[in-house]
Amino acid sequence: MPQLTKRTSYYTLLLPAFIIYIAVIIFPIFMSFGLSFTEWKRFKMTGFIGLRNYSEILADAVFRRSMWNNIQIMLISVLGQIPLGILLAYLLHRKWVKGDKFFEFMIFLPITISSVVIALLWNRIFSPVGIYTTFVRMITGNPDYVVRIFESEKFAMIPILVVLLWQHTSLYMVIFLANLQRIPNSIFEAALLDGAKESTIIFKIVIPALSNVIFTSSVLAISGSLKSFDLVYAMTAGGPVNYTFVMALYLYLHTFTFHNYGKGSAVSIIIVLLSVGLISLVRGVYAKAQQRYE
Amino acid sequence: MKKLAFTLILMALTISLVFAAGAKEQGKGDKVVLTAYMQIDPASDQYAGHNAVMEAFAAKYPNVQLNIEYASGEAFHQKFQSMAASKRVPDLFTCYGGARSAYVIDTGLALDLTPYLDESYKSHFASATWLPQGSAGVLYMIPPSFAVCHSIYANTALLDRLGLSFPETFEELVAQVPVIRAAGLYPVSMGNKDPWVVNSWLLGTFIERFGGPDWILKAAKGQASFTDEPFVKAVEIIQQMSQKGLFSPGVNQMSNTEADQEFYQQKSVYLIDAAWRTSAMDAQLPAEQRNAIDMRVFPRLPGEKFHDNSNATSSEGFGIAKAVEGDKAKLDAALAFVKFYSGEEGAAIRAEYGEVPSYNLDLSKFSLDIMQTKFINFSATYSMGYVFDAIMDGEGVNLLNTDLQAMMMGSGNPKSIAATYEAWVAKNDSNRD
Repeated sequence: MPQLTKRTSYYTLLLPAFIIYIAVIIFPIFMSFGLSFTEWKRFKMTGFIGLRNYSEILADAVFRRSMWNNIQIMLISVLGQIPLGILLAYLLHRKWVKGDKFFEFMIFLPITISSVVIALLWNRIFSPVGIYTTFVRMITGNPDYVVRIFESEKFAMIPILVVLLWQHTSLYMVIFLANLQRIPNSIFEAALLDGAKESTIIFKIVIPALSNVIFTSSVLAISGSLKSFDLVYAMTAGGPVNYTFVMALYLYLHTFTFHNYGKGSAVSIIIVLLSVGLISLVRGVYAKAQQRYE
Repeated sequence: MKKLAFTLILMALTISLVFAAGAKEQGKGDKVVLTAYMQIDPASDQYAGHNAVMEAFAAKYPNVQLNIEYASGEAFHQKFQSMAASKRVPDLFTCYGGARSAYVIDTGLALDLTPYLDESYKSHFASATWLPQGSAGVLYMIPPSFAVCHSIYANTALLDRLGLSFPETFEELVAQVPVIRAAGLYPVSMGNKDPWVVNSWLLGTFIERFGGPDWILKAAKGQASFTDEPFVKAVEIIQQMSQKGLFSPGVNQMSNTEADQEFYQQKSVYLIDAAWRTSAMDAQLPAEQRNAIDMRVFPRLPGEKFHDNSNATSSEGFGIAKAVEGDKAKLDAALAFVKFYSGEEGAAIRAEYGEVPSYNLDLSKFSLDIMQTKFINFSATYSMGYVFDAIMDGEGVNLLNTDLQAMMMGSGNPKSIAATYEAWVAKNDSNRD
């Protein structure tokens, strides 16, 4: 009887969270899945069209470019922000720089600022009438100078990637710094006494100790990268042409501007599938890494 | 004892709630309450005239209470689309006459105002006010004014300094480029970071120059093709403007605001922009500079058949929810509001704040700002054609705008752009249904 009461209590306590989860996560996903097979015209569903939305999206060069841009954002997040976050956290933790509190604050600052403000700030600097452009025109005497990378089909994403790296590294740094402080100092001291190099300490002590956090951060980075929207929208709105389009922007355009809810839903399902697939991949890598360290 | 106290407290609370509710009803009196959702930023200087109209309406109709929610830009449309999807729209709302508000006017949620507007009221407005709206071609709102989308502003002080005058032809404009550049200035400022700009402010005007006033409508309906000469030639002019260095460097990275600032700071001789920029000029520029600004249409193009045109579309007004039709008091109040806002009283107030209303007023009685007067003269001088992106479907226009921007950056050519666009329109555009 006490067992039954305990189980009932568990389920009762779980129920509100479960209902909310079903309502705001699972239901919309299933709803989108259903809608992704429909065609819409003039705000009305005109019928089921099977996989046509998916085939059109995958055949669309703009979507493929958007997906590639999202992959670039994901790569800069997982292979840029996280390693740099670990490195900065380690530097601050080992107190290799004077005024560590000041640097901690300065590095953390970008993540506290709204992405829209950051986008405007960078635009003010690098736009054709921005401070940097004006300065270069002045010192070079070239009145036609503009930052051409923004117009490059191949490299237009680079300024966005740099801003994302600058903005989000700080968040990971703080997460890693908090977790580094949980590693007893005696471990670092013992390693140094044994003559371990800093690289050995990082790869043999720090990274294994932070593996859980690195995994969690990777999941956050992947899911965040795939739904990138605010900074890109405010900085370039996907342009020029569609060189900086991302999947969320493509979804937004088709759903809210062209009112093609079927196509928009299909994009959202593709994002969910990509997200789940990539996170599963990271989980697999993490499991292998854990086995190796154990 | 505890039970008794609990019961007494509960009774007291219940009674107070009942009385409170009663008092609220009594306080309301016979006020008609309308909910409203407006795409307006009341804190912005641009809407000072709107705020004044709202105050005047409240003073004249104290029995009508408007509970207004304001939103601006895309945020307005996003929320309104959600409301429309759930069929729960407010009693009054900002409404466009075309595709921008299709989610509310083409879905049966907006009231057709035609039966409620008699000829004596309509006769006071410019005739273009009453052009059909939406796919049903009826009236969902009374346009308070018109959005003129093409104008070229010239800084005549700079032109005089350079020994130039406003060019009569495109060739003359191109010939001015080396002179202007030699003086360390840019010829034309235009912010095409958002690629709709080149479409709204140039393409429609150019197409009509080559094809005549109704060519856009014919092509939209499939009676002409976008691969025909008028469209291709119009795109060619835009390509030539880019190739011949008319625009400031980085035109496709430059926002509207940045282009305006470049012109305001007298770094460029011409500005291509919409005519509504006059109100910002009146607010931001000294009188001497405004006096030196000439407001014209684009110079004549080689081979053009139609001359001296700009293009315009009716500006957004206020629509009434179809559901209001069943409540006479609410319907009367809502109609009073839309008629007041666009009618004589509202128009007079808005004119004082720099707007040129669709209601025919004797504007000589008003003390108008410098650029506002120039805008009135501009509207009276040039004929107004169709705004291309107000006619065609948004998805195709987006495709076209992107191709135009790519062409301005050196990729693509007018004929291939025309072919791609015609193929899209033939397959998808609702005008060809």
